[in-house]
Amino acid sequence: MRLHEYRVLFIVAIGILTLLVASPALSRLLVPPRTEFFTELWILDSNLRAEDFPFNITRNQNYSVFLGIGNRLGYCAYYLVEVKFRNQTQPAPTSFGPPTNRTPSSLPALFNITAFVADETVWETPLTFSFDYGFNETLSQVEFYNLTLNNVKVDMSGYTITWDSEKGGFFGYLFFELWIFNATTSISQYHERFVGLRFNMTVY
Amino acid sequence: MNSVSVLKFSFVLMIFLVFASQFYVSVTSAQVSQNEASSALTSAEESVVSAYQAVSKAEESGANVSSLLVRLNDAGWFLARAHMAYKSGDFDSALKFATQSQEKLNGFVADADALMKTAIREHYLDFMVNVVGSIIGAIGVICVGFIVWSFLKRKYEKAGSMV
Repeated sequence: MRLHEYRVLFIVAIGILTLLVASPALSRLLVPPRTEFFTELWILDSNLRAEDFPFNITRNQNYSVFLGIGNRLGYCAYYLVEVKFRNQTQPAPTSFGPPTNRTPSSLPALFNITAFVADETVWETPLTFSFDYGFNETLSQVEFYNLTLNNVKVDMSGYTITWDSEKGGFFGYLFFELWIFNATTSISQYHERFVGLRFNMTVY
Repeated sequence: MNSVSVLKFSFVLMIFLVFASQFYVSVTSAQVSQNEASSALTSAEESVVSAYQAVSKAEESGANVSSLLVRLNDAGWFLARAHMAYKSGDFDSALKFATQSQEKLNGFVADADALMKTAIREHYLDFMVNVVGSIIGAIGVICVGFIVWSFLKRKYEKAGSMV
């Protein structure tokens, strides 16, 4: 029996056993650091898909979508979603280009939704909405009265849409701007992203 | 004749004062309600921010804050409704929703602190068992291996010299 012949085998066996015993520590110590921190914002249809969004809107009829936020910021975030509505000529928010060029719409928010989302988790909520509006034949424009969002009635007086002769319809946009609460300054800042739905408000 | 006109004047004045006093009372109560709603909104906002800070700390220490976030999201929903009601001049609803928001957060900071302390304890235990324990275990395996190898080597040399 020559012990030298088993030396390498013995070292390998001890090495494997050492790695096995050290694996709980290694699994915690050898974790690659996270380098990308961001937020996801999405809107899905009533079947949780991105294919059947409401487009042709009828007065006082309910429509459902899902609004979702995915937090990958590395900390629990306090988000604020500003629900706004605009016609073709009113200012839209921006979410592309250099950060300084990404701005929210200057329109007032109809409603605010707060969402507290833990790191690496997703927050999703169903939104059911309907529009109450009428057609002003004299001015040939759609005039809004109310938006009902999740059984909360929001005043929309003053909101109008004129006929788009190019595309042939009364087009409006319901959009959701994402804001984030800054704990240092204690104010909410535009988080440089938004999602929205384009509607054709049918009048007959 | 004079006494009749004085009577008439007094009667008209009385009616006017009764109406004016009602108007004064309603305006005053509306203002009080607005002030109340405004201060309730401010304190509800402060409660939400403190709750958020508490939950952030708890999450940072590794606590599972999902149940706390459900409560915080409920409070946030009521706060949003309170803001909307206040904006539309419905101060009674604003006050009601602001109060509901605060009620949702009763004892929230204490719960978050308790979760944070539990998480710190569990994190310490986890670190001691899984990191320190397994490193000591690995060093132990190497040492035992070395001792076993030395023992076998000595035994082998002894057997060799005897032959």
